[in-house]
Order: sequence, then structure tokens, then C-alpha cells
Amino acid sequence: MTGSSTSAVRRMRPDRIKELTLLGIIAVTVVVFGLLIDGYLSGRFFNRVSTSVVIVAILAAAQALVIVSRNIDLSVGSTVGVAAYLTADFLTANQWASPALAILVAMAVGAVFGSFNGLLVAYGKVPAIIVTLGTLALFRTVISLYAGGVNVVAGDLPDWVLDFNNVTIFSIRGFDLRMVFVIAVFVVFILQWALRRLRVGRRLYAIGSNPDAAEQASLAAPRLIFLSFVGSGALAGLAGFMFMIRAGTISATAGAGLELEAVAAAVVGGVSIFGGSGTIFGSFLGAVLINTLELSLVRVPAVSEFWRDATLGILILAAVILDATLHRRFSRRLTREIAGAEDDLGPIPATPALEGGGAADG
Amino acid sequence: MAEWVRTHRWEALMLVVVAITIVVNALLSPFYLGLDNFVNLFWLSNEKIIVALIMTFIIISGEIDLSVSSVMGFSAAVMATLHEIEAVPFGVAVLGGLAAGALAGLTQGLVITRFGLPSLVVTLAGLIGFRGGARVLMEDESVGDFPAWFDTMGQQKIAGPFPVALLIFFVGLAVAWVLLERSALGRKVYVTGNSADVARYSGVDVDGLKLRLFTVSGLVSGVAGVLFAARLGSVRGSLAEFFELDIITMVLLGGVSIFGGVGSMLGVALAIFAVLNIRNGLGLANVDGIIQTGVIGSLLIGSVLVPNLAQRVRVRSRRLSRAHAPP
Amino acid sequence: MDESSRPPVEEPIFEIEGVSKRFDATQALDDVSLQLMPGEVHGLVGENGAGKSTLIKIMTGIYRADEGRMVMGGEPFEPADAAAAQDSGVAAIYQEPSIFPDLTVAENIFIGHQDRGWLVDWKKMMSDAAYLLATLDIDADPAMPAAGLSVAGQQAVEIAKAISLDTKVLIMDEPTAALSAHEVDRLFSQVRSLRDRGVAVLFITHRLDELFVICDRISVFRDGRHISTRPVADVSEESLVREMVGRDPSDFFAREDHPAGDVVLAVDELSLAGKFADVTFEVRRGEVLGFAGLVGAGRTDIGLALFGIAPADRGTVRLDGEPIIISSPNQALANGIAYMSEDRRGLGLSMSQSVAANITLATLERYTRRFGFVDRAAEEADAATLSERLGIKTPGLATPVGNLSGGNQQKAMLAKWLNAEPRVLILDEPTRGIDVGAKADVHKFIDELARSGIAIIVISSDLPEVLAMSDRVAVMREGRLRAILTKEDATQERVMETAVGVV
Repeated sequence: MTGSSTSAVRRMRPDRIKELTLLGIIAVTVVVFGLLIDGYLSGRFFNRVSTSVVIVAILAAAQALVIVSRNIDLSVGSTVGVAAYLTADFLTANQWASPALAILVAMAVGAVFGSFNGLLVAYGKVPAIIVTLGTLALFRTVISLYAGGVNVVAGDLPDWVLDFNNVTIFSIRGFDLRMVFVIAVFVVFILQWALRRLRVGRRLYAIGSNPDAAEQASLAAPRLIFLSFVGSGALAGLAGFMFMIRAGTISATAGAGLELEAVAAAVVGGVSIFGGSGTIFGSFLGAVLINTLELSLVRVPAVSEFWRDATLGILILAAVILDATLHRRFSRRLTREIAGAEDDLGPIPATPALEGGGAADG
Repeated sequence: MAEWVRTHRWEALMLVVVAITIVVNALLSPFYLGLDNFVNLFWLSNEKIIVALIMTFIIISGEIDLSVSSVMGFSAAVMATLHEIEAVPFGVAVLGGLAAGALAGLTQGLVITRFGLPSLVVTLAGLIGFRGGARVLMEDESVGDFPAWFDTMGQQKIAGPFPVALLIFFVGLAVAWVLLERSALGRKVYVTGNSADVARYSGVDVDGLKLRLFTVSGLVSGVAGVLFAARLGSVRGSLAEFFELDIITMVLLGGVSIFGGVGSMLGVALAIFAVLNIRNGLGLANVDGIIQTGVIGSLLIGSVLVPNLAQRVRVRSRRLSRAHAPP
Repeated sequence: MDESSRPPVEEPIFEIEGVSKRFDATQALDDVSLQLMPGEVHGLVGENGAGKSTLIKIMTGIYRADEGRMVMGGEPFEPADAAAAQDSGVAAIYQEPSIFPDLTVAENIFIGHQDRGWLVDWKKMMSDAAYLLATLDIDADPAMPAAGLSVAGQQAVEIAKAISLDTKVLIMDEPTAALSAHEVDRLFSQVRSLRDRGVAVLFITHRLDELFVICDRISVFRDGRHISTRPVADVSEESLVREMVGRDPSDFFAREDHPAGDVVLAVDELSLAGKFADVTFEVRRGEVLGFAGLVGAGRTDIGLALFGIAPADRGTVRLDGEPIIISSPNQALANGIAYMSEDRRGLGLSMSQSVAANITLATLERYTRRFGFVDRAAEEADAATLSERLGIKTPGLATPVGNLSGGNQQKAMLAKWLNAEPRVLILDEPTRGIDVGAKADVHKFIDELARSGIAIIVISSDLPEVLAMSDRVAVMREGRLRAILTKEDATQERVMETAVGVV
């Protein structure tokens, strides 16, 4: 890239480019479906997307938090279930509790379960994929034992619970700004800020970007990785709260399968599976894209509703291949520059010994 | 004997675990120690344990395949879909299902080797994507009405007390055992898992080997999916969902290192037996299925955590003894 | 003590006093002393294995010295690790800088700063970074990810980091190896500005001409010992070379001359972009062709190209006069070309596998019977023969090769390639890191192999070794073959002069 016309592009951070690309893809998606489906671009559709995206958006942020340091958390779906159930149970027993207290309880529950993952990954040195595949099952078991087959039903919960999902802050021509959406966006902003502005946030990126160099620089990797799993758990707890107010009736299987959607959203949102790069904004946009696609595909008559998972799988694969290709382009450019350096070699000095040596041996 | 225990520590440990689970099971149920019950024990998990065999190769080679249960579902779904078409003979439908499995594995193997991507991520995408494929094909229907021979294969005891499908496992186990520990291929799998670079610098075609392993993993998952369909007598989109947990647990509990290069078929065989016994015992004790799953999850974590901790204790005691040694 | 009362003669900022370090068989450093003055660029030269890397690692807290001590600014200096050394003002920059590729340039400069509160002040960090980069004349955008930088740029970032950390002693380990001439100039001006700030720079390089451009004093190491330290005005390239070599080759196996046969391998104008260019040579039956040169001169890359790991992109290779194409190790082996890597652990042996399995690894097909079975009896018979021939000391052939001593591992690796019955055997650093006895065994064995008619290429940074073992010596520098010397012409001085570019 040379010339002044490209300098603006050059100066843009790659993360920003990824985010803008995603925004573009989301816009194209909306326009395409708008052309395919009559009355697609309605307030009702916006409201559906903006409320249903909340859970995956929060979980995608949780996932991004651990993926930047080269880990993964497959247990978030089960953590959602645990937090939803325990919070619902808590509210049943304490009808007076406020929404804020309920959120706090949910996040605390999630954090406790997340710290279990963190302990095993950071200090037990068990790969995150194994730990969280195990706790995906284990957390679900904990909740089953606790529930003993009894569901918490909507009727037992305080009245505000089921209304909470529809609390609207303001509304313009049918486009509602819902409370839950505001909370999710708030969380995204806080985390984006934390990962960008807090020293520990930058260190998390450093650990994922080059673990060896991070160790050399004494960046306290285990403690930070532990904390990132606690954070991931707390966020999954918040998602559990959102699940509770949405579902009303909570069974022991609440939230099953959400982990895959969370990973998909984060990866599609440009969080590199190799660690070290990606943003919370990106993962949020990934969640929005996936959610929009899901809710839109259902409305295209020719497409069955069962395309959801297949689409997710293809999206992840595409995102990962794209990421790997970019990765490789970067490293290839580096080697080319090293190669270029050697091409600067001066002319080869005439070496009479070369012929002499050969002849002497013949 | 002592020498064997010293060089096969994990297998010895597994042997003890198996012995304990046998005793506990026998105490829990008077019917446990019958041949019929043992056959049932394996038969009820036949598909998982077949896939565990190829998973052993994959993990020893330093990779992982998270997509196996989805590929099982996908293969069965392809078979069922073809079966629905009048013009297609059932044999062709079965072959189609198997081909779909092999193709799924080949695709993932190609992505892994060509793009240099971690198998963890690629097969995670496969886990989601191929399950999606099964759902797209089956929607929320159930397809059954398979020919009698197919149901027989899955359900009837033919050779003495053994169903045909179970024989496939035992033959598979023998083949896998020999392949892993006595064949050139097995040798290359170990060396690649120990260090892919050493393998490459010794003339091993590492990418080719991985491609073959993932393709066979897909094919074996396809076989397992089709067998599962035969045993159930019908196919749904959710067939074999979440099997990967048990499968990977069996392999890692068998002493196969998640980092590759280490493990034995004997260990995996014992771990399979142990897991089946544990599930059976929990069932006898009326423990809920979802709780059994939690136990399996704990076993999975423990099978990696315990050797890790043991290693750390060993390093520390070595360092201590060195520190106390005279200068 | 205030400024005015300081004595005019400067005290050394960093002193190394009688430091020794031993690794199993090798005495890496032997009673080394060195003084670094503030505001000097101190050159350090020596052959590969002279002890320079060990010294760096001790200075930066990665290793601990067995004996001796270090003093910094009058205080004993005992860093617990690299971060502690960095905090007390000693930092190192390596040939390949260890950066965080996804983080911005500015963050890479400032990430090592501990305990500066919770928040990152991006604006201040960016402007500080921009200022630092500007004073060093580095053209890099502080807001861009470091992955986009060239190697020179990454090094510049490390220099900026060193300044920001108020580094007193900066070690630069072959920083120019991967740089173009223009980039070297720029690096030197950065080094000078460091010097003007009072930093003591320990500058390690193989390019002797650079020493005279940038250094104030030059020290020479040989065999882990400090040989000399002199002001740059008192040394010449010739005197440096003399001090660097001068090892006694008498403890090496003396080969008897024996006539070489026909040309087996002929390499013509072989090139690989960025690695080596226009390399032409031939090897005969029964001949040992030595490859001398500095690390990074492209010798290993030629080995890797001939073995098909990183194939050449230009030039021809002829075997018995027939052109052959080598694009994979399998093809190389099929053509009878074998390559023994210098990296035993990382590339040579499968440590958890048995001795026998390692010896037959490259030739498994030979033992493969019907259905892919490995004929273990045949395998063990061959392994036993080779093991005996090479004198491998092992409890048994089933023992994991990782349990053997370094020398015996090296022999097992050699056995692996002998078992391939090669016509051309490339040995990369065949005696690195093994004890004297094993070394002598390997040398004797190389001679036997040559007598049996194998064409052998020995790549070695051990100058006396390469001279003692070779019939002819090819000398490489910076990716090009600079000379092929006959045994008579190949003196230590001549080879070293060619290798470092004093002609």
C-alpha cells in the first residue's frame, strides 16, 4: 500500500475495520431481507431483534473476554441455566427483592461457577476446552440435583419479572427502546471500556497475543486468566437473569445450547480464536448479525426454520478461515521484509578459491 | 508384573478402577455378573465406544474432533432422507449415509491442513454445522420403516448372545489395537502427536496423515450413526446429540494425553469398560441421567487434572531433593 | 554525592566478576570478567559457542551463574528473572524481537511498566510514544498494531521501550542480522543516541566491519573465556579473527587421506529467496565436504532445501549426473539424501518413543509387512546392529530415547539416518552439546562412513571440527557461498576471515 489516498485506511486500526465491515454486512442483510419480505422493516421486527439479541449479546461478550487470552468457555449455557434457576428460586422465596438485587444475585452465582472454571484452567493447567466441556455437563448436574425435577413457574415469581422484558424507556413510531436492550448495550460499553482502558484489559490481550513474551514480562497470566473466567461466569449469570425474565418458567435444562451461539457470535464478530485481537463491540455486532439472520430466515417461506444451526456452522467456519488468512498474510509480509533485507547483499566478491578448490580435488 | 506396573501406571490404575466398579456393580445388582448383562452394557453404548476407537487415534496424533456426534446425526439423516426417496434402494441409502460421514471428515481435515487452523475450532464449527445439516434434512420428523435386515442388524442377537452391531465394536477394537500399536501407521500417529516437526523431518507426510485420520473419523462416525439408527429403528435430527462428552472422556480417562503422543489402546479399552460400569452402576442406584452426565464431566476434567498435578508434585519433589543434595 | 564532586574518570556502570557457568558436559563460561562504562558501545565477538549467549542470559536473569558475581552501579546485581533485570535497568534486544503483534506500537513500548495505576491513558501514551519514536528517528505510527512492523521496526520499538524504562545497560544480540544496509544505518544512529544518553550498550555481532563503525571498545570471547578487551583504535579485523579462532585442533580425530570417488551430488546455482542465492558445489563418493560460516549464513537452509523441507525455488540438483526434483523429505530419502537436524529435541528425535522406533522411523516402509504390520523382529535386529556399531549406551532398545544421555541421543539420531542407507548424508552440527567422548566417537564414525563411500556434508560452527573432518571446506556468508577451500588452504584464520567478510 503506497500513496496518500490509502493513508486513511492504513491508519485505521484493524479492529475498527472489522467492526465497520460487520456493520456493512448487517446493513446488507437487512436490506436484502427487506426486499425479499413484505413489511420486514417494521417496528415490531426491530423490537423482536432488540429483545431477543440481549442474551446472546451478553454471552458473546463473556466469550470474547476469555477468547482474547486464547481460552474458550463452553460452559456458559449451563451457567445461564444455573443462574436463571437459582435467581428464580431466590425471587420465589423473597418476593420483595428488586430487579437490581436479582441481577446481583444472578451475577454472583455466575461468578462463583466461573471461578471454578478459572481455577482449573489458570492454576490446574487443564486446557479450557476440556475444563468447560466437563463443567458444561457438571453445572447442569448441579442444577438438576438442586431442582430435583421441580420447575420454577412464572406464577411463583414477583409480578415485575415477566413485565421486565417489555419495559420500554421510550418509543418512536413503534420502534421501542427496551430496558433489557439498554442493559445489554450498557454492559457492552462497560466491557469495551474495561478492555481498552484498564491496564489489566490490555494485559489480557497481551497474554493472548504472545503468551511467551507475556510470561517474560511477568504479566501475571494465571491471575488474569482466572479473573477473565470469573468475569465470563458473572456475565453468563446476567444472561441467566435475562433468560429468567424471558422464559418465566425455569427448568433444569434452561439455557442449553447457548454456548455454541455465544462462540459463534464472538468468532463471527472478529474475535480471533488465536487470541490477542477482537473487541466487545465486534462480538456484539456478531450477535446482532446472527440474531437478525435467525429471525429473518424464519420469515422467508422457502427456507425452513431448521437452517439455524447449519447457518451458524457455516458462519463460524467462514469467519475462522478469513481470520487465519489475514493472520497468514501478516506473517508472510514480515518474512518478505526479512527476505528483502538479504536481497540487499552487495555483489558477490570474486573468489578464485572457488574454482581452485574444485580443481584441486579433481 | 512389577515392571509392567511401573511402565503402565495409568493402565494399572484403570485396572483397579474397573475392578472396583465391577465389585460395586455386583453388590448393587445380583444380575450384573451375567453374560447377557455384560452384552447389554456394551451394546447400549455401542456407537459411542466405536467412535472412541478412532478418537483415540485423533487425540494421540495431537488433534481433537468435536464434531463426531453431529457427524453421526448427519450421516443417519442423509441415510434416512435417501431412504424416503422411492427410487433409491436402501443399500444405496446406507452407503450414502456412510459417504456423507466420510465427506464431512474429509472437509474438516482439508480445512485443518490447508489453512493450518486448529482442529478444535474447525470441528467446533463442524459440531454446530453438521448438527444443523441433520436438522435441515430431518426437520422435526422421525423417519423409520427400515428394511427388516437393517433392524435385525441393529437389534437381534445373531452370533450367540452378540448382536451384529456389537461385534463391529469388538472387531474394531482388535483392528484399532493392532493398527495403533503394531502398524507403521500407528507409529506415525504417535510420532506426529509427540512432535509434528520431528515427524516431518523424518519423512512422515504429516498433513496427509491428518487428512486420512479426519476422513476415517468421519467415516467411523457415519458407521456409528447408521448403526445407531438401526438400533433405534428410526432417525431424528437430534440423533446422538452430546455424545462427544462421553467419547472424549473415555479416551482421556484411558490415559491418552490431550497434548498428543501418549496413550494406549489397552488404557482406552479399560476406560471404556470403567465408564460403562459407572454409568450402569449409577443407573442401578437410580441416579438420574443428567447427573450421570455430570459424573462423566468430572471424570473428563479429572483425567487431565490428576496427571497434571502429579507431574507438578514430582517436579517439586525433584527440585527439593536437588536443593538438599550436597554441592 | 552531587554532580560536581564526581571524579572525572567514570566508574563502570556494570561489572562482571569471575562468572562461570557449566551445562552438563560443556563449560559455557569460564571465569569471565567484563566492565561496561556508561555511554559506551561495547562490542562483543566470538565464534558460535564462545559463551556470548550464556553471558546475556546470566546478565538478564534467565540463568544464574555457578560462580562469580555481577555489580551494577556499585550494588550487587542478582536479578530473579528477566522482568526483575529489566526493572533494575538491564534489558536485551534479540535478533528476533519478542513483541505482542496484536497490540499497538505504543503499548508494546509501555507494557512493561508496572504499577502505574489502573487506567491506560491512551492520549498520553500515544504522544509519549510518538515523541520517543521521533527522537529515535523511527517512522512508525504508535497507534498501529506491531504486527505490521518490519523486523527493523520491531527492534526500534524495543529500543524505544528500553529508553522508556530508563535502561542503563542494553544488550543487543545480533540486531543487524536481519536488516538491510539502510536499516543498519538507522539502527546505528539509534544506538548512538542511546549512547549519548549515557546507556552502556553491549553490542554483539558477527559482522566485524560493523564493530568498527559503532563500537568504542571490543571484547573477544573464545571457548567460554574472556580473551581481550581493547579500545577500537587498537584492534584490526585481522587481530580480532586471530583471537577469535586460535583453538587447538589437536584433540580432534585425525583423518587419513583417502581418494574421493565420482561426483554424487552436484548443486548448481541453487537459490531460495531470502535464505541463500546461487549456491554451486559438488560432493564426491567418500568425500567429506564441510560447511563453515556463521549462524544464519544459510548453511542449514541449504540442508533443508536438499532434504525437501523448504525446497529451493531456483537452480538444479543432480544426482549421479541426473537432474532430480526434491519437494518433500520423502523424495529426498527416495533419492538417497538424508539430513540430520541440529535440533535434536525439536526436530530430531521423538523423545517418548523407544530407541528402536526412532532408529527405524525414517525407514518404516522397509519393515512394513502385509496389512501394515511392522516387523518388530527385523526392526530390532537392525536397531541392535546399528546401536552396537555406534556404541549407543542404553538399558535396552525399548527404552524411550528421551531417557538417554545427550551423546547417546545424538548417536541414536545418527543411527536413524544411517539406517536409511543414504548416498548423501547431511549432518547439521553433528556434535553440538555432547561430551568429549561422544564427540570423538561421532568423528570417528563420520570418517568410517566416508570410507564406506557415502558423500558427507558436515555443517558445523565448530571451526576446528570442520577443519579436522573435511576434505574441502565451503564457507558461506550472508546467504552466499564465498569460497570452497582445499584442506591445505583451509586455515582457521582464512575460513573465519571469509565467514565474517574480511577479505
